[in-house]
Amino acid sequence: MNTSLKDRVTAWAFMAPALLVLGVFGLFPIGYAFFVSLHHWRVKRGPFVGFEHYHRALGDPLYIALFVLSLGLFCAVRYWVKGKSLWLRVTRIGLEVATLFAAGAGLLGVIGSGDSRLFDAFKVTAFYAVCAIPAEVAISMILAYLLFKALSGKGFFRVLFFLPYVTPMIATAVAFRIIFSPHPSSLANQIGGVFGLGSQGWLFESRSVVSLVLQAFDITQYPAWIDAAFPSMALVSVVLYNIWVYVGYDTVILLAGFSAIPPHYYEAAAIDGATAAQSFRHITLPLISPALFFISLIAVIGTFKAFNHIYIMRTPGARDSVDVVSVAIFDQIYLFHNLAYAAALSLILFAVILGLTFVQNRVLGRKVFYGD
Amino acid sequence: MVTDTAEGAGTGRGSRADGPAAETEDARGSIADTAAQRAAKRRLAAFLTYGGLVVAAVAASFPFVWMLFTSFMTRGETLRYVVVPASVEWRNYVRAWSEANFALYFSNSLLIAAVQVGGTLLFSLMAAYPLARMQFRGRETIFLIILATLMVPETATMVPNFLTVAWLHSHSPIPWLNSWPALTVPFMASAFSIFLLRQFMRGLPGELWDAARLDGAGHVRFLFQIALPLCRAPLLTVGMFTFIGSWNALGWPLLVTSTQTWRPISVALLRFVEEAGAETQLQMAGAVIATLPVLLLYALIQKEFTAGISVSGMKG
Repeated sequence: MNTSLKDRVTAWAFMAPALLVLGVFGLFPIGYAFFVSLHHWRVKRGPFVGFEHYHRALGDPLYIALFVLSLGLFCAVRYWVKGKSLWLRVTRIGLEVATLFAAGAGLLGVIGSGDSRLFDAFKVTAFYAVCAIPAEVAISMILAYLLFKALSGKGFFRVLFFLPYVTPMIATAVAFRIIFSPHPSSLANQIGGVFGLGSQGWLFESRSVVSLVLQAFDITQYPAWIDAAFPSMALVSVVLYNIWVYVGYDTVILLAGFSAIPPHYYEAAAIDGATAAQSFRHITLPLISPALFFISLIAVIGTFKAFNHIYIMRTPGARDSVDVVSVAIFDQIYLFHNLAYAAALSLILFAVILGLTFVQNRVLGRKVFYGD
Repeated sequence: MVTDTAEGAGTGRGSRADGPAAETEDARGSIADTAAQRAAKRRLAAFLTYGGLVVAAVAASFPFVWMLFTSFMTRGETLRYVVVPASVEWRNYVRAWSEANFALYFSNSLLIAAVQVGGTLLFSLMAAYPLARMQFRGRETIFLIILATLMVPETATMVPNFLTVAWLHSHSPIPWLNSWPALTVPFMASAFSIFLLRQFMRGLPGELWDAARLDGAGHVRFLFQIALPLCRAPLLTVGMFTFIGSWNALGWPLLVTSTQTWRPISVALLRFVEEAGAETQLQMAGAVIATLPVLLLYALIQKEFTAGISVSGMKG
């Protein structure tokens, strides 16, 4: 191929519409959001206020500095202090613990002095991710393995499993809002009744699952932090819905991963006398790891982006216990018309997502086997 | 497998005491035994496999069945412990359709989705082509920049995009707010679509282009007459994703539509659920209506779609 002027013009002309749209509505907004966040901005632009909104969200700048600096030091220690002598290793571990401790203290300070609503939203998001992702991945791993082993009916099951993922979430979330209603005749209560579960408040229950368990054992006196330290019943209901939606998608991805493993690897292992568990550990797991990594990455980003179904499934009874960060940000825009504060919050969320993706890449990504 | 070997060793030890003749007979017997056992084991494995799959299939599909059943119930039945309605109440659908003005929102959503899918397919195909098959300076940089937009969460773009659209509304000849441009244009190019189409087009054989050029075709004709028909599967995947995304959009339409004229079905369903409160059967009728177009599309292109998803996952 030559790179004549005509070809270059053609190439850029072909890309122009997409680049225009992506530039104006995908990249430019980040800079614009920062600009907005530095002003007082409700419907129209107000006076310049500098970092006031970040101050309101994150609290004392000293704590922020402590947190960021200690995290930076921690990374520096990890990458620069190397060596095998005992001294170096002890120093290294000591420095790591000290910097992490300082970062933790900084984070606690930030949480203590910042916007409590924002940190509640981050807490809910973390609960949501921690409850949903492991369960989602484990179930889809089992299902993909079963589908892989199944001799016939693969296509049929795959279509069925995929149905919850393709069906518009606006419709299924509305349905699950009624399935998880506190009425004794609701589907969730009927199914729970089969397993001996009493009538529950489900999406309308703001108390944590742990305090509900305590209550079932007639313990009515429990410290208040029990409700704050565990996900609410309402959030667990949302998590169950989330698992129902995404298991099918993960299964299809993992099934493709399983099917891509050359069968002669297993034959060779069988000849060498490997047990089923051994060939799973040493063949299946390493070769499926890219697909596992991909779905866990998508799942983490997905929980931080989650909006539609949570917005539909939030109830007055659940109070703020299902409001993830994106819902809290949307409230700032739609309910309070505080565009500047919403812009500041959304940039904080963006930074957190970037940081998490980076950490996930470093920690999990290292264990991923891409072949040789 | 472990038990097989253990048993084989056991019979071997027993037969040594009985002499060579018995050994062969025993060995034959043990082979028959293990064959029968293997068959039993295979049956058990198949039973467990299909048992697990059927349980999962029921869990995946039961909420849909429940949705459908509930949409046919009378108001009384929804409040009692009823799973299957005594008679089919078609009137629920008529009521949901007319009372909630679903006809308008349904056609709004269809129009919005059509514009968005059409725009996305055209723009993404055009952008993916030079990225996959032409040589020019800055190609890799541009591709990386496009991929970087995948990291930006929608909430981060919401405020500035709203302001941009409001500005365009007052500075362009056509209205943007409360109309289709605000609902479709910002989503007309997606990094994911461009990525998927580029990956696919890179796989097309180079001889096609050589042959086309010999016949006097330029890039435009090659793209639309030769490459386009070959990209059927990834285009369907991208189209389906765009359609679902458009049909599902909730937060953005809430911001940019304050009147009914262009309100999509997602917003209408949310309002309907908030207002129709206790009328579960009507809500479910509305929800079923809202799922129909997507399910219909999925039924039509199910094969290409699942194949496309698998590919997108494999390539990361």
